[in-house]
Amino acid sequence: MSRDLIFLIPLLPLAGALLNMLGGRFWPRRVTESLAVAAVAGATLAAALLWPLSGGEGTTVELFGWLRAGPLQVPMVLHFDRLAACMALMVTGVSTLIHVYGTGYLHRKEDAVRFFVLLNLFVFAMLTVVLADNLLLLLLGWEGVGFCSYALIGYWYREEENASAGRKAFLVTRCADVFLLAAILWLFQLTGTLSITAINAQAPLLAPGTVTLLALLLLVGASGKSAQLPFMTWLPDAMAGPTPVSALIHAATMVTAGVYLLCRIFPLISQSPTGMAAIAAVGTLTALYAATCALVQRDIKRLLAYSTMSQIGYMFLAVGAGTVTGAMFHLLTHAFFKALLFMAAGGIIHLAAGEMDLFKLGGLARRSPAVFWPLLAGVLCLAGIPLTGGFFSKDAILLASFARGNMFYQVLCLLGLLTALLTAMYSFRLIYLVGPARKGDIGEPHHLPSTMLWTLIPLAILGLAGGLLNLPGVWGGNEWLEGLLGPLITAGEPAHVFELLLGLIASLLSLAGWLWARWRYAGKPEPRPVGTAGTFFLKGWQADRAIETLLLGPFRAIARFWSAIVDERLLEGGVFLAARSCEGFGQQLRRLTTGRLGHYLTAMAFGLGAIMVWVLLQSI
Amino acid sequence: MIVPMGHILIVSTTLFFMGLGCILARRNLIMILIGIEIMINAAGLVLVGASALWRQADGQVFVLLLMGVTAAEVAIALAMVVYLYGFKRNLDIDNFDGMRG
Repeated sequence: MSRDLIFLIPLLPLAGALLNMLGGRFWPRRVTESLAVAAVAGATLAAALLWPLSGGEGTTVELFGWLRAGPLQVPMVLHFDRLAACMALMVTGVSTLIHVYGTGYLHRKEDAVRFFVLLNLFVFAMLTVVLADNLLLLLLGWEGVGFCSYALIGYWYREEENASAGRKAFLVTRCADVFLLAAILWLFQLTGTLSITAINAQAPLLAPGTVTLLALLLLVGASGKSAQLPFMTWLPDAMAGPTPVSALIHAATMVTAGVYLLCRIFPLISQSPTGMAAIAAVGTLTALYAATCALVQRDIKRLLAYSTMSQIGYMFLAVGAGTVTGAMFHLLTHAFFKALLFMAAGGIIHLAAGEMDLFKLGGLARRSPAVFWPLLAGVLCLAGIPLTGGFFSKDAILLASFARGNMFYQVLCLLGLLTALLTAMYSFRLIYLVGPARKGDIGEPHHLPSTMLWTLIPLAILGLAGGLLNLPGVWGGNEWLEGLLGPLITAGEPAHVFELLLGLIASLLSLAGWLWARWRYAGKPEPRPVGTAGTFFLKGWQADRAIETLLLGPFRAIARFWSAIVDERLLEGGVFLAARSCEGFGQQLRRLTTGRLGHYLTAMAFGLGAIMVWVLLQSI
Repeated sequence: MIVPMGHILIVSTTLFFMGLGCILARRNLIMILIGIEIMINAAGLVLVGASALWRQADGQVFVLLLMGVTAAEVAIALAMVVYLYGFKRNLDIDNFDGMRG
């Protein structure tokens, strides 16, 4: 394969989007759907065929110069190495399935063209982020992803709630993007280049304090897109969008962008122990926070949103613990099973005619086994039941954190284990609430299109078997992904005993979670009254209210001060004062204009006299 | 030159101030116009006198011009007087204060 064909990977979705944008009105809906799916499937194919090019140092292709201004040289450069290739394959592959699912999901709804155009654009923007070798190009894709997510979350914009959810997602991520932009500008100032590979190569030469600050800036930037503390509030609200969008945003693309960025720039941030510790801490705390929130959610999609946040937290922990492989491993398995969970949830909601309350759904196991079994597979992966993909990837992260051998990371590892327990608890809670039949079920089942069913199967298989991607040596695997991405881990290899012990503990924890959910929810379909703590968790630790009082409230007060006092009183008062004095002066002046000829003539005579006196005085 | 220049100046200045006084003191529009004519002619007299003093024709040419202009001015002014009379039925200038601010 020619190396020049790499540009096809991002270009195909863009072409699909453009074609549908221009011609979507003129051809039937079937064509639009086929074009959109074909574009992404083509990108998948291209990524798969071009896989050999990613070996070794990877392939770098300069397409054309973009900005040229003195020292600022920003070429359109794509860098296709193993990391990018893995990510691109995952993004395109999962997106293809989501697109196919979307054709069924949007079966009778309006505005299909807009939906598929935005979906394709989304994939294009994400692939730009993945393949860019240039921080500015990466930022372009990064913002493109943000814009598409805004437009897609607010897809049903006619309802105020959805539109404001989209706005919130956009604004919150924008706040974090400012930090990313600052980091990029600073890096340019320090190294004189924007190329990621060049920056990574120069990383050891930078001062340690600077690198720490840069790492923190990048962390904040990544937190916004990946919905980590304290930028996590947009993600649960983002559930306002259509379910395929939730799957696309929460599984394959947007939220993993932050993790990917940190992996991409890992040689830089790994220079700073403080930065790494901060990343690990943010990840772990978010994981714990989101898991507690997920435990009490009643809305099925919100529950999944919080679980996503929690799993992304694990990935941050992995990056912080120094294992890019662990982060990518979890990113891949998570993408599979989370897309699966969302798509299954979409099926459930569809079957129940739009009902999202977990306590009103039920009887799925009997009514639609074709949705239930994939859902169960996804839940098993999420809960980290042994031998599923989620088990291995989560274990690898906890192990890497533990193996750092210092107190801080071991505490984080313990918190991670606690989160694993909570994860198992809420995952099985979902199954026990949705699976068994109960009184007052929504009776008449809707028919599910076949595309919403068969797309679940490959994802379920990938999710369950995802562990094979990087099966640790202890389990008889060969750590394929580790071999691909190269041993970037900086810590020493842990003893195998630890590895097995940790696996055992994790298995016991997930089992405990299952037993708890069984004891608490099996056969008890009625919702219990939630206590104070429950409400607290349900509202996401009152994060929205905290932001309201801490950030928005003071901001509004300041705004009110400037608007009511400074603008309306001071500035407007000043303007009015000037206007009034002018007017008063004019009122005095107009008295001179009597309109009487006699007065004018007198004035003229006296004026003439004055002039003559002046002339006479001059001549003396 | 038979008449000394000083006398001419005295006469014309007197004429000028008489015209001015007429303008300022009278309320009738026609009288004001007459005052203006007197002032113009006073100025013309000085010009003729100066022309004779320095033996140059410029001043006399200028006076001819002045007469032409005055004739035109009087024609327009009288037309306006007629019009204004039709408007207000008298010519007291205090009645015409439509331009008052």
